[in-house]
Amino acid sequence: MARRYDSKTTIFSPEGRLYQVEYAMEAIGHAGTCLGILANDGIVLAAERRNTNKLLDDVFLSDKIYKIDEDMACCVAGITSDANVLTNELRAIAQRHTLQFGEPIPCEQLVMRLCDIKQAYTQYGGKRPFGVSILYMGWDRRHGYQLYQSDPSGNYSGWKATCIGNSSAAAVSILKQEYKEGETDLHHALLLALKVLSKTLDMNKLNAEKLELATLIRKDNKTEIVVLGVEEVNKLIEEHDKKEAEAEAAKQEKASGSGSGKSSDK
Amino acid sequence: MPDFSEIFSLQSILNYNGGCVVAMRGKNCVAIACDLRFGVQAQTISTDFERVFEVGPHLYIGLPGLATDTQTVFQRLQFRIKMYEMREGRRVKPRTLMAMVQNLLYERRFGPYFVEPVIAGLHPTTKEPYICALDLIGCECEPEDFVVSGTCSESLYGMCETTWREDMEPDDLFECISQSLVNAFDRDALSGWGAVVHVIEQDKVTTRYLKCRQD
Amino acid sequence: MSHLQSIMVQKSDDDKMHQLSSNLIMAVSGEAGDTTQFAEYIAKNIQLYKMRNGYELTPSAAVHFTRHTLATHLRSREPYFVNLLMGGFDPDSNTSELYYMDYLAASVPVKYYAFGYGGMFTLAVMDKDYRPNMNVDEAYELLKKCANEIKRRFIINLPKFRVRVISKDGIKELPYVVAEGEAA
Repeated sequence: MARRYDSKTTIFSPEGRLYQVEYAMEAIGHAGTCLGILANDGIVLAAERRNTNKLLDDVFLSDKIYKIDEDMACCVAGITSDANVLTNELRAIAQRHTLQFGEPIPCEQLVMRLCDIKQAYTQYGGKRPFGVSILYMGWDRRHGYQLYQSDPSGNYSGWKATCIGNSSAAAVSILKQEYKEGETDLHHALLLALKVLSKTLDMNKLNAEKLELATLIRKDNKTEIVVLGVEEVNKLIEEHDKKEAEAEAAKQEKASGSGSGKSSDK
Repeated sequence: MPDFSEIFSLQSILNYNGGCVVAMRGKNCVAIACDLRFGVQAQTISTDFERVFEVGPHLYIGLPGLATDTQTVFQRLQFRIKMYEMREGRRVKPRTLMAMVQNLLYERRFGPYFVEPVIAGLHPTTKEPYICALDLIGCECEPEDFVVSGTCSESLYGMCETTWREDMEPDDLFECISQSLVNAFDRDALSGWGAVVHVIEQDKVTTRYLKCRQD
Repeated sequence: MSHLQSIMVQKSDDDKMHQLSSNLIMAVSGEAGDTTQFAEYIAKNIQLYKMRNGYELTPSAAVHFTRHTLATHLRSREPYFVNLLMGGFDPDSNTSELYYMDYLAASVPVKYYAFGYGGMFTLAVMDKDYRPNMNVDEAYELLKKCANEIKRRFIINLPKFRVRVISKDGIKELPYVVAEGEAA
């Protein structure tokens, strides 16, 4: 039945669905995880890196986190070639705004403009939607630090912490539990990102090679976007592991403590 | 009877707003300087109009000529530089900038932007000094010593020709470029009213504002 | 406030200022049709920006937008022949701003300026008496001096000038500046 309605993006199915758009979202569900957390003094983006072949020539500092303007960066989940087109478009939109108004584009406007393009690909004939979800982190004069997410349908939303890509639902629910509004500083946000990733990624142990971490902060009236180096990530992972081990120990002690009554002469 | 009006007149659109830029090479350093006047023909309107812009940590471009095109060309150039830097993930090199400016200007071959740019900078890795001047459609000139551009370029040539020496240290270079510029534009009604000098060295850039005759 | 055509005064209560946003005004001179057409185009676009985004452009961004539009048209088949002054107050940075922009789209921040033939007489007056820390009353007095100078030295009769003040409280109209000896 669905066959008749999913060959074109522009056609609604009788249930009122746009299959191609849903398939695009499905594609993102298999893509590497991307995570964003808003802190009081900055923003963190974290991404899972999948193609880690040592024979791969690493031309760029990062392959999932892109700078898109002086004070914005994004990370993408989905089809990389589609993402390249979109990041280029994002950069062009930002620069066109600067050319016209002489100041950086406000974050939400940039996200909105890109979503207009994404939306067009769900409606105009014969085109496939972009198989990309994007997390944007940015700062602007009016609203300060901001975190946005956009998906192939052209919807976007602002978040305090969110996740896209593989097992994002699980990650979001952990974030919901762990994120403390207004009490998270950048360092905590980084550790929280690692915690969420360690629980949702299919690896036994976190590996700096397979992670990309970027931060955005304001310093001396300028935005600094930094992609963390392997050493820094390793340091964070160490700290995270230590904390986890402590938490685990405390939990066990508590469990054993309550399990064996109040006897202390074990 | 030959027509000298183009050569001697203030009528040329390049001289409409006035202003000049000069750049010099020194020993492991370069300097670039400009005046600060913005006027409409003989009327001075503002005396804090900078026509030299920073486009990289060791790279500056001066855009003397028609003021509207100074602004337009700089903004359009900024667009292209930013796109380049984000795409390539590195800062733009002096010669690359020159090629970009050439492209930008020659795109308007038959309806040009009325600016004659001057570029000065150090290569980001080799630290090789670089100076260059272009005409309004992007033909480059890369000499070893100095480049001049703007309304008093004739006087600037004279001044630079007499004061410039090979292998000047940053301080000497500053003195040389300042004296050349100030004495050249003091003889020109369309430029002057203060100057700004950038001396670009490997580890730092020094920007100084010069007090000059205000008449 | 005079609208002239050739040697005739067509209108003596013309308003050459256009409000662009709650704290930004553009005063336009130049070719008759172009002035209103351009000013309205800019004004409506700035209002559209506010509707789309829920906040207004800062004065400097609005000036930049105006310059960009004028510069783009300059190299088209139908350039606008308009000279303009834009005055605004930025509530975020708490600064007042005045910009000069000529028909070539060269825009520079200025302390004071006047376009046209009348402007030539008043510029000298303002050069002499302008001070950066003047209050509104003092600025108003200076405008009066300018009007008197135009009446004394300029062959064309420009009797009345509309005055508006842009401050953090928005835009306020002041009494017309009238040269000494003219009917108010």
